[in-house]
Amino acid sequence: MTHTVLTFIARVKPEKTEDLRKLLKLIQDDPEKNSCVPFRSLQLLHFASFVLHESQEYGPYLVFENNFDGLLQAYLDDLYLHASRGLHQVYSCCQDYTVTSAGDRQRLFAYLHAHVVRPNAYHIGNTGRSVKRILDEQTLRDALETRADALAQSVPPPSPSGLLGAFQNFVRSDPQFAWVSGVGPRQTFIEWFMPWVKFVAVILLVIVLLPIWLLPGIIGLLVLRFKESTDPVQSSAAKIQNVKDLVDREDRTPSVQNHMASITIVKPGWLRRLTLRVVLWAINLLARAKATHGELSGIPSIHFAHWSVIDNGRRLLFLSNFDGSWENYLDDFIDKASSGLTAVWSNTLNFPRTQFLLWGGARDGSRFKAVARDSQTVTNAWYSAYWDLTVQGIDNNSSIREDVLNPLDATATKAWLLRL
Amino acid sequence: MELERKDIQGLIVSSYKHLPCAAYLLLQVKDATAARAWLARSVGDFTTAETKHPHFSTNVAFTYNGLKKLGLNQEVLATFSFPFQEGMATEHRSRILGDGNENAPSNWEWGGAQDNLVDLLLLVYARDESVLKAQLEHWQQELRGSSGGFGEPRILHAQRQPKNNPEHFGFHDGIGQPVMEGTGNKQRQLARTHHATELPAGEFLLGHANLYGATSDTPVVRPEDDPQQLLTTVPDSATALGARPGMHDLGRNGTYLVFRQLAQDVAKFWNFLDKATCDPKGKSNPSARDHLGAKFVGRRKSGAPLVLSPQQDDPRLDNENNFSYIDKDPQGFACPIGAHIRRSNPRDSLGPDPQAALNTANRHRILRRGRSYGPRLTDPLVDDGKERGLHFICLNSDIERQFEFVQQTWINNPVFGGLYEEVDPLVGNLAKGDALFTVQGEPLRARVHNLSRFVIVKGGSYFFLPSIRTLGYLANL
Repeated sequence: MTHTVLTFIARVKPEKTEDLRKLLKLIQDDPEKNSCVPFRSLQLLHFASFVLHESQEYGPYLVFENNFDGLLQAYLDDLYLHASRGLHQVYSCCQDYTVTSAGDRQRLFAYLHAHVVRPNAYHIGNTGRSVKRILDEQTLRDALETRADALAQSVPPPSPSGLLGAFQNFVRSDPQFAWVSGVGPRQTFIEWFMPWVKFVAVILLVIVLLPIWLLPGIIGLLVLRFKESTDPVQSSAAKIQNVKDLVDREDRTPSVQNHMASITIVKPGWLRRLTLRVVLWAINLLARAKATHGELSGIPSIHFAHWSVIDNGRRLLFLSNFDGSWENYLDDFIDKASSGLTAVWSNTLNFPRTQFLLWGGARDGSRFKAVARDSQTVTNAWYSAYWDLTVQGIDNNSSIREDVLNPLDATATKAWLLRL
Repeated sequence: MELERKDIQGLIVSSYKHLPCAAYLLLQVKDATAARAWLARSVGDFTTAETKHPHFSTNVAFTYNGLKKLGLNQEVLATFSFPFQEGMATEHRSRILGDGNENAPSNWEWGGAQDNLVDLLLLVYARDESVLKAQLEHWQQELRGSSGGFGEPRILHAQRQPKNNPEHFGFHDGIGQPVMEGTGNKQRQLARTHHATELPAGEFLLGHANLYGATSDTPVVRPEDDPQQLLTTVPDSATALGARPGMHDLGRNGTYLVFRQLAQDVAKFWNFLDKATCDPKGKSNPSARDHLGAKFVGRRKSGAPLVLSPQQDDPRLDNENNFSYIDKDPQGFACPIGAHIRRSNPRDSLGPDPQAALNTANRHRILRRGRSYGPRLTDPLVDDGKERGLHFICLNSDIERQFEFVQQTWINNPVFGGLYEEVDPLVGNLAKGDALFTVQGEPLRARVHNLSRFVIVKGGSYFFLPSIRTLGYLANL
């Protein structure tokens, strides 16, 4: 099972900005069932967002983020089925949208295809889990927990194997759980193996080509080092009105999932643009192979995140759907992934002082947080298919489901019972 | 590192354990000129970290509103930390602090709405009741009317601190505290609890180096606004974001003080535990009741941590704090994952690498300075209709990263430590009356259902506890 992570990015007609803002507000007021884009009807969709971002230089942009199961066309078909009129309304506020009726399926698709931006790098927390599987496994877990409440009362207390047997009978006897034994693995062997092949092949290639890139690489690094020591850094606290607008929308879901949309300006010059692209490419390579077990560089709380270089390399868009508070997310970034994120964002304006791309930077905690807040832009509408689940909770639910009907030895039985 | 003790208010380095009586005066400024005059003649009366007064101590703190009324201009006010400027009672803060429904600021007795905002907090500590009475009379005389410039104070009395400090639910409290570098408290803490986490002064004092190795953010004024040079100058070497070299440092040696008045419904708490642990015929089981209570807290009534006393209470461990979770109790079989002390300081338990987890947890520590109020309930199962609780007070240099983080990411987080849908059983946002608490165990966990709030917020505010120099500056505005 694969996921697709992408955005549609369109320029908004300046005179239509306020209309669009109102429309997005209508979506945000009821993301699941609004009349415009009723996200709950989209059965392949994990997370989606609309971000209306305005800047002096580039004017208003609309970023429509989509993280879904399978490939684009099937998702678009579903999207069209449930939201053709809403999409038509939204994109009627955008430039070069010439479709005259929501019924014009082909031209609407052509418009969306023309505005697809695929990320330079992305991360998926729960590799291989479809929306349906995530929701089904949560239903199963809830039922098992309720059953466990009753079993915990039994006198005398049952043995571990007796308990497991009772849970297995419970699952087998209820037809609504007939699906439990038929779910495929999180990743097939090929899905797991190919990114590693690619990773190793690239490393080999890099070593083989060492004579070619070494000298330019060293010169580039020295130039970069010089730039690092002179680039201006953030000098003031985060702008308070922006922070107020952002926190007003934060921490509203039961388990405190949050969304972050950030647009930063890439530092001038081709060296920075090149460095940024190379770093993102390397992160993507590594993430495909290594970050398949719920963590990105030790951060256990990211459902979907992606980086896209936009505007011909002049701006960097980052979108993230994560568990927990903003403070916690940023602290995780600083404590666990500061090298990686410093390598990315030090190529954008105002980032804290770095040394050799990887060092310094985000470790200057309060300055980094101020830069992060200033570059963050309001998410106008946001949808999650499972507000109350964390990346780790989804993973635990999968583990519960995967083993519930298996014959387990004494140690594995104990371990399984502890997952409840 | 040598602290400038003369410049630091005493509460930052001491919880005044030798002064068991206390009261807190909440005041509103009516006449700024008179209030500044009061401050000018009182500066010398506030207790500093240099001297330990054997009979009484007094400290003073201001809200954003209070500083504004005293005459601090907007430009300066904007250099204070964002949560301090906004105050505790905003919609967003209510969400993250768990102040919804009956805890909503609109229900608070103070600090929650325009008509009951507080400007100034006076903290008065005394050796005994008669000294406290005399001190309160003195201060009320000073503050009142045209000479003082303040309205009638709201006086919050603390309960006389008994030995071993049990809070109202009956558990020995205040055992684990971080230690601030430079205070010399480390040895004392080690001797008392066998454990001490010493943190850089900047975690609890503005204008000093914090755990990030940077100077903690500090409010400043322009040199021309401090013609008498009452404040120190931020040095050119200061590079942190909040540091503005050349400006005069208003925050240095001060800190932020968080105050929340938390009423505890003791009878409701113990009756809930009683019902949850009675036998099938409905007969009480006092030892099971105490055991479940201890599971909620993470310590037994004596203070003994469950990690070290999993089966029964051990009064010899009443001040014991030398333990961690990963080596002794990774699964929560002794101290549940969601227990109050495990949530409010998870130590090494969050994340795969215990040392890294501990380092991260230490970025979110607070100095607790609270005291209980109201009479003790004679029979914990029978309510007497009187209000009692905790005047929760804590000190930190970064309200967002410390107090609010603890409250949001640990206490009120339904998915804390791999849990699914529960919050802190004592002080969490148990709004709906259908809350859960999981007691991990082998072979199977037990779940306690239908928890509701045992603690109600009655008031609260964020304060700035300035240095002595800064008090002088404010008096001269």
